This record gives sequence, structure tokens and C-alpha cells, in this order.
Amino acid sequence: MQDNQQQAYDRGITIFSPDGRLYQVEYAREAVERGSASVGVRTADGVVLAANRQTRSPLIERESIEKIHAVDDHIGVGSAGHVADARKLVDIARQEAQVEHLRYGQPVGVEALTKTLTDHVQQYTQTGGARPFGVALLVGGIENGEPRLFETDPSGTPYEWQATAVGGGSDEIRSFLEAEYDPEMDLAGGVTLALGALGQVQNGIDADSVEVATVDTESEQFRTLPADEIAAHLEETDIGGDEA
Amino acid sequence: MTDIPGGRTSRDPYEPELASFRETDDQTAPDADSVAKTGTTTVGITTEDGVVVGTDRRASLGGRFVSNKNVVKVEQIHPTAVLTLVGSVGGAQSFVRSLRAEASLTEKRRDEPLSIDALATLAGNFARGGPFFAINPILGGVDDEGSHVYSIDPAGGVMADDYTVTGSGMQLAHGTLEGEYDPAISIGEAETLAARAVHAATERDTGSGNGLVLATVTEDGVDIEEYDDAEELL
Repeated sequence: MQDNQQQAYDRGITIFSPDGRLYQVEYAREAVERGSASVGVRTADGVVLAANRQTRSPLIERESIEKIHAVDDHIGVGSAGHVADARKLVDIARQEAQVEHLRYGQPVGVEALTKTLTDHVQQYTQTGGARPFGVALLVGGIENGEPRLFETDPSGTPYEWQATAVGGGSDEIRSFLEAEYDPEMDLAGGVTLALGALGQVQNGIDADSVEVATVDTESEQFRTLPADEIAAHLEETDIGGDEA
Repeated sequence: MTDIPGGRTSRDPYEPELASFRETDDQTAPDADSVAKTGTTTVGITTEDGVVVGTDRRASLGGRFVSNKNVVKVEQIHPTAVLTLVGSVGGAQSFVRSLRAEASLTEKRRDEPLSIDALATLAGNFARGGPFFAINPILGGVDDEGSHVYSIDPAGGVMADDYTVTGSGMQLAHGTLEGEYDPAISIGEAETLAARAVHAATERDTGSGNGLVLATVTEDGVDIEEYDDAEELL
């Protein structure tokens, strides 16, 4: 009986349950939690995005697993959940970033871009026949010279963070970040912290099983870290696989 | 075209994806004398190591009144490419904005910049498919295949060359370049040659003048310098 009742409320996303919940949106959050984690860290001189890119087969080309995406020169996005849903949102973000250049001749702000994305995601929680986005994003970049880091979730709510994670084990990672985060740290410290955070839920991290990108305040350019740089950061910490 | 929200807005290759060109109904075509034109002399020269693009700095009304004396008529539109503004200032600026936005979008999607040939095709498509921009720019850039300059005409014609000139002073600048150009020249020599060509035109063409801008494009990027007087480079 209980089951039947709940089923009725999760048939459509536009139907509230009597206790005010949108089951489809909550299921979408579960989809995010099933994805492997992405971490974002804001430091004094830039933003770091890091993601787990573990493969399910040694035959898969690792480069084809993309969880961190450049959106514009000064903004990147990390994702967790449905990759296909993430790609769709990333393309919307890329278009919106260029529309800002066309319309106003200036780079889009990280906050404005995040809110364009969350407004889009929100439409999918209130429109009949649609399904919510099964993905959470971390939007990191530089705005007016300052590093900014935002999260979007399947309900379409924007949050701003100093450091956070989305995806599998994000609660555990966040506890780690709450204990270790220092707002004064530099970008290199941010990369090390982000890798340490991924190490909380991912065994045997090596340079090939993670993806790291930064946007620093000096160049204001999105940059993907090459494997040797990631390896150097891993060496600095003691995460490099020995706990596996 | 697609009706799915958030779907790509345009599948028409002659139109920008981000914002469609709108044909004006033309009952209010602007008075030709009140539209700023660059008149202009713009020169593009390829060398082994990169491209040099030179322009004058004058904007004029009907070629008879100097409406601006320090226009930078060459703009970066790509990590390693520039476009000159020739003809209607408004048409050229709008064209530059569209091309830059579309090239950036494609670069982010593909994780590598467009080739210069692809960029030239895109520019030709926009010139051909959009409203009449009244422009005649030069596209100069560097990619894996080397240095390239293209002239793009108002009807969307795209022609590659070793060196090219557009604008009201083109005959004068060509007179300098013809016979002087050598594919083996260095970038420094190409800068001097571009300066001489633009200088010759600014001396005799009323639509060109007020100094010089030089853009140097190499595989490392774009450098744009302004000069009040071309003499210092000759």
C-alpha cells in the first residue's frame, strides 16, 4: 500500500508528494551519487577542479572519459552523474558564454553562468514529460579577478562553495575538506588538497586515474594539468597508492 | 533546427549558431554619408615564421571627413589569427564579434583551435549568408600547416594568397608590395614591408592615414602594436 502510494507520486516530476517532496528530483540526486566524484577547491590565487577517471576496462581509451570541461577561457566545469546529461549542460554553458561576448563584449561571470544553468535545470523539474538532469556540476572560474566556485544540483539550485565535492562519497570528501581546507592556500596547495580529497574515496590514485584542471587569477585561463604534473603533486602527498 | 529546449539553435552553415543574422527590410537604409567607413589600407603578408598584417588608423565619412584618427583596424579573432576591419565600421565590428564567438565555441567543443582554412570558410559563409556587411577584410593566421592570408570580399569570396591588400588604398600598397615580396623574408622584414606599403597608401589615399597598426601572428599568438607615424618603421 505504502509502495503504491509512493509510486503514484514518482510517476511524474511535476507531482509533489503529500510531504512536499519531488521524488523524481530525489532520484536524480541518487543518479549523481552513483557517479564517481568530482572535487572543487577555491584558493587565494585560483580554482582547482579534480575528477576521478577510473576505467572499467583496460581497453577503454582514458582520454574518452571526460568529466572536466572547458566552458570559456576563464571557466571550467567538473561533473558527476550522467555524463550525457553533463555534456548537454556544458554545451549550453559554452553557448551562453559566447552569447555574453556577442551581446556585451565581455566575459560571462561565473555566478551569472551558473544561474543560467540552474534556471535551465529547474525547468526540467516543473515541465510535464521531461526528466530532471541526472548530474551535478562544479562551475569554477575567475570573475573580476576573484576565484569563484559554484555547484549546481538536479533541483536547479545554485550554491557557492570554498571547497566541495559532488558524486559518490561526496559527504566523506566534504568532511575531509572541512577539516583540511585553508582559505590562504595557494593554487598548488589547492591541487594537492583536491587530490587528497579524491584519495578519500578512490583507491590507488595515479596520474592516469584522475583529471585535474585549474583556472588561476593571473592568467585567467582554464588549463588541464598534464600527467607528469599530477604525478608530481601525488608524490608530494602520501596518497600515491600506498594505502590501497 | 530543433525544438528541444537547449538544443543547438541553428543548423544552417551559412549562419552563426549563436545569433542569426537578420535581413533588414531596407526601407531605412542608412545614409551613406553618415556611416563611418574605414576607407583603409590593410595589408597581409605571409612568411615562413608567421604572418604580418598592417593597417592605417583612419575612419572617414564618405572618404572626405576624418571621423576618427586612431582606429585599431585589426582584431584578434582566434588564438593565432587576426581579421582586419575594412568597409563599414559597424558591419566589420559585428562580423568580428560573430566570427570570434563562433570560433571560440568550436575551439572549446573540440579542445583545439580551428584551422585557418576552416576559419576562412566560416568567414566566407557568414559574409555570403548574412546581410550585406559592406566589408572586405583580410584574414591572417598561423596553424599546423603554416602561415596563411586570405582576402574575403563582400559577397563571401575567399581567396588565399602569399600576400594581399584590401581597402581604398589597395592599388598604392600593391605598388609597393609587387616585386618586393619574397617568400623567404623574415618577420622583421615583413613588418618593414607592410609599414612601407601602408605608408605609401596613407600618403596618397584620402581614405587612409593617421599612422599605422602592425599585427604579428606566430604559432605563439598575436601581438598588435600601434604607431603614430609609419616613418619610424621604414
